[in-house]
Amino acid sequence: MFVKVGSIIAAILAWFGLSFLFPETILPGPFQTAMVLADNFANGDVFQHLFATLWRVMGGLALAMAIGIPVGVLMGVNRFAEKTLDIWVMVALTVPSLCYAIFAFIWIGLNETAAIVAIGLTSAPSIAINLWEGVKNIDTRLFKMAKVFNASRWVIIRRVLFPQVLPYIMASLRFGLGIVWKITVLVELLGRPDGVGFELFYWYQLANMQQVLAWTLLFTIVMLFIELVILQNMERKLFSWRPKVKI
Amino acid sequence: MDKGISIKGLVKDYPGHRKGERGQRVLNGLDLSIADNEFVCILGPSGCGKSTLLNTLSGLDNDYSGEVRFGGQPVGRNGKPPVKMGYLFQDPRLLPWLTAEHNVDFVLENSDVPKSRWAEIKNHYFSLTGLEAFRDHYPHELSGGMAQRLSLVRALSIEPDVLFMDEPFSGLDELTARRMRVDLLDIWSRTGKTILFITHNSYEATFLADRVVVLSQGNIREEIPVEVPRPRHYDDPALFEISKQVSANFIAAAEEAERARLQPQAG
Repeated sequence: MFVKVGSIIAAILAWFGLSFLFPETILPGPFQTAMVLADNFANGDVFQHLFATLWRVMGGLALAMAIGIPVGVLMGVNRFAEKTLDIWVMVALTVPSLCYAIFAFIWIGLNETAAIVAIGLTSAPSIAINLWEGVKNIDTRLFKMAKVFNASRWVIIRRVLFPQVLPYIMASLRFGLGIVWKITVLVELLGRPDGVGFELFYWYQLANMQQVLAWTLLFTIVMLFIELVILQNMERKLFSWRPKVKI
Repeated sequence: MDKGISIKGLVKDYPGHRKGERGQRVLNGLDLSIADNEFVCILGPSGCGKSTLLNTLSGLDNDYSGEVRFGGQPVGRNGKPPVKMGYLFQDPRLLPWLTAEHNVDFVLENSDVPKSRWAEIKNHYFSLTGLEAFRDHYPHELSGGMAQRLSLVRALSIEPDVLFMDEPFSGLDELTARRMRVDLLDIWSRTGKTILFITHNSYEATFLADRVVVLSQGNIREEIPVEVPRPRHYDDPALFEISKQVSANFIAAAEEAERARLQPQAG
């Protein structure tokens, strides 16, 4: 904990030092950025943009998980599914996220649905790959054990397969979140009238680095909070049975 | 109820893995009768069909020919024995996300033991195996010997008629293994079960069994009765004499397997 706080303070100091070397229009310092951020909170619509973006992040993540998990699990447990799907997952992973966004906005229209579809489709392949690799690592000897002790197929899926897949689902949730919010910002600058991505693009066009940095900082803090506080605690509770790793 | 096992003409083939490769006959018309409450040890070199025998008897593999009956009744269509079966694997095979007690509950939930009796059964076997204080521990918090003892509790908790044991003590240190063998005989003498125990260890087989069956290339090479009264003592010279005979057969079986591997198969 002390190390973490220390490194954050060091980074802020480095930023502070560097900001003296550049003009304000290129690299504003931490205090200026914080002031701009405070100003935005005081007389702006920060929350409206932030919630618009968070809503898209959640929607996109939900869609990505809804597609990625079944595809990944299926590929992990079934040889035939693995052989037929792996090339398509690779193709889907290779297509640039910008292309998904363009397709969605042209085919579905400039609306929320299109934004969420674009975000979900872009991140689904990464989640599928994550699950696919994970499911391959599950311990099949436990299925044999459950079978000799008379467990039905449904009991085996629910009580032996699912607990083994759950850590990979949680991992892909965190990992998915990291991808999704980057894509969300891109999708917003391309086709939405609000959100953090829209704001970033707006201030970029005005060459206002103070605002660009302020928005970047705000969004990074919010996402780190979700990742470090909410998701990590959830994981700790769910997987308390795991041995503590000592190095 | 009779809990004996009778096996007649059991044949099991494994297909070749690669194209054109000859399949392998692992069990070659095996006949074996195990009496009610009998303790039989099966001994043999790797590849003699020991594990395959347990897989077919336990219903994990029902792709075989021949006849298997439990207490005179044939196996069901799913290959499951018509009697209650407990199983001990070489490794403990516990569910790592469940505590010791919940691992036992897991098999009780899938058994016909009424819930009203669970507490009594668990108390009995946890204290019998000295695991009373570890009920709330997760498997990774148990030593290898304790984990295997827990899997013994698990197998016994459903009050099985037959108990299949696949080299259950081979992964333990000798001291722990000895204690487990003595405990096992103690539990067996009190509860009465038909036990089929697979091992690589001739002395272990002799110490435990009423009868040691040495397998070689999918069939019985020799059956050696162990007529030493119980309770037995680990250092009994009479056991040692019989185990020499078991050993000699085991070594001969291993040599036969080696020769068969080197020789191209005929026909």
